[in-house]
Amino acid sequence: MKKSIGVTGILFFLTSFCLAQELTLDEIMQRYYVANNMEKLQEVNTIIMTGLRVQQDIMPLKIVRKRPDLYLLDFYVADLNAFQAYDGETAWVTSPWTGNAAPQVLQGSRERDMKYQSDFDGMLYRWKEKGHLLKLEGIDTLDTGEAYKIRLIRADSAIQYYFIDRKDFLLKKQLTYRTFRGEEIAIETYFRNYRDVDGIPFAFLLETSYAGRSVSNEIETIELNVPVEDDLFRMPQ
Amino acid sequence: MKHLFSPRPSSFLLLPITLVLLAATLPAQDVVLQWRGADRTGYYHESGLLQSWPAEGPGLLWAFDGLGNGYSSPVITSDRIFITGETDTVTYLFALDRSGKYLWKVPVGKEWTINYPGARSTPTVVDDLLYVSTGLGTIACLEAKTGTKKWSYEMQQDFHAPRNTFGFSEGLLVDGNLVFCTPGSPDTNLVALDRFTGKIEWISKGLGEHAAYCSPLLIRLPERNILVTFTAHALLGIDATDGTLLWSHKQDGEGDVHVNTPWFEDGYIYYITGDGNGSVKLKLSADGSGITEVWRNKACDNTMGAFIKLGDYIYTASYEKRLWYIQDATSGQLTDSIKFDKGNTIFADGRLYLYNERGLLGLFKPEGPKMELVSSFKVTWGTKAHYAHPVICDGILYIRHGNSLLAYNIKEVR
Repeated sequence: MKKSIGVTGILFFLTSFCLAQELTLDEIMQRYYVANNMEKLQEVNTIIMTGLRVQQDIMPLKIVRKRPDLYLLDFYVADLNAFQAYDGETAWVTSPWTGNAAPQVLQGSRERDMKYQSDFDGMLYRWKEKGHLLKLEGIDTLDTGEAYKIRLIRADSAIQYYFIDRKDFLLKKQLTYRTFRGEEIAIETYFRNYRDVDGIPFAFLLETSYAGRSVSNEIETIELNVPVEDDLFRMPQ
Repeated sequence: MKHLFSPRPSSFLLLPITLVLLAATLPAQDVVLQWRGADRTGYYHESGLLQSWPAEGPGLLWAFDGLGNGYSSPVITSDRIFITGETDTVTYLFALDRSGKYLWKVPVGKEWTINYPGARSTPTVVDDLLYVSTGLGTIACLEAKTGTKKWSYEMQQDFHAPRNTFGFSEGLLVDGNLVFCTPGSPDTNLVALDRFTGKIEWISKGLGEHAAYCSPLLIRLPERNILVTFTAHALLGIDATDGTLLWSHKQDGEGDVHVNTPWFEDGYIYYITGDGNGSVKLKLSADGSGITEVWRNKACDNTMGAFIKLGDYIYTASYEKRLWYIQDATSGQLTDSIKFDKGNTIFADGRLYLYNERGLLGLFKPEGPKMELVSSFKVTWGTKAHYAHPVICDGILYIRHGNSLLAYNIKEVR
């Protein structure tokens, strides 16, 4: 009897100790900002990434970002050059594999997804000012280790999940949902192979899976603060 | 108005009759320069090549930019380089000199641009004539000196060729006085043309299936020459003399993309294809009139990177797994796999050249059931996908990367 009380006491102590060690949402986010060197990132005005997009084919890829929210993805499908972009006002895409190479303006949820995706600092930074809501949902075990699962309710009410590593406080996974042909599909992206670029960590491998498909963006080069004209992001007329 | 089964604008009629007669009496085996080398195997009979490369790769001799889009390989003659490229939906035939200097270009026909836009067909050169096709089905014979068109066909109109998913991609095969093409229509499945005049010599109905992007193989036997190629769901053996379908080997996979030229050696045909079909060894009867399946291995798949057989082993890339496989040619079993991502391969002077879709060119030493990476470098010059098969000629490695043709010196320094 004494022995079982003793074991229970130790377990209680350990559990209490572990809970005491858990961080609040604000503490997690603070460490996330530090881990990502958000202070240094504020000095960065443009980011240019080049690499390969590996799906069935292996094709070139280029991502250009500019403050505050300009975004251009220049990629290839079936060796046809395509774009997804946001110029701060208009979200547009080209889909030449459909037989129509003309740019199309995105509407509705796709437009909003592109707009939020274009946030230079990411949605987790200054999330309150941006009108998003965050909630710590617990801890999940990923293949990269344990991660804080954080639910983000976007200003437009769309829900996304972020998984921040418990040890290094870098983003390891993102889970979003999109409606495609009337069905909601989950889109999972793993962020791997973090490397330092001018003091800022970047994931050089992004593995995305959805509806039984997978695509990897393998980043080869990242350049910061290369001058980029705003016209680059505008939809061609 | 073009007439069915008539060659297109026929400047050849203006040629002196003596020239036509002379050409018609040429020996059956002219020097043919074509897709993946003289015998379409990708085995280049070169010697004195570098057995390893510096970290940055072999020295770049020159680069020619301005080919336009394309996946075709160059063909190298004693004084010329011929290669195709697409600009604004038109395929051009380019002639360069051996130092990479531009000489001329001529339009050949409309190119496929719906997906993977660009020239597909590697020219075939026989003496002073050149044969080329385009993704939308132009078949043309041109003079190698000037690019002047002698005759042409439009396979869609003239031979009822149905459109396929990726455009016509055949490297035209020549045997003696004949040049062959594969429209893939039910009534005009394969066609043999007089290579000097464009006159139709025979039409084979084959199995009536659409073309499968394959550059055919010619097997020379004492009894007959056999044209071996794929249509949508079968390998066909066609008597090259009269178009008789001798045999076929049905595919049981879903796919209809069979780009790789089969390989013939010691009475056996080997082929590797993708989309659930895999690799196959067939025994060809002595007279070429029949086949027997020896083995089939669906795990060893390759869609368009070809393969090399050296002795008892086959070296190829797996399309699905993105690995390189070594396969026992006797049993069909895989003996090893190497991570180098998928791509194409050629061989010369004891080394395999693996060019993967990431643009990495690896120099591998084949050692029977295994192979070892010796050197590699990344091809950074050029545009778009790394699909074109490399070519080696006189100690120079030619890499086509989209808009650019690159020439590397791989001669061993003595």
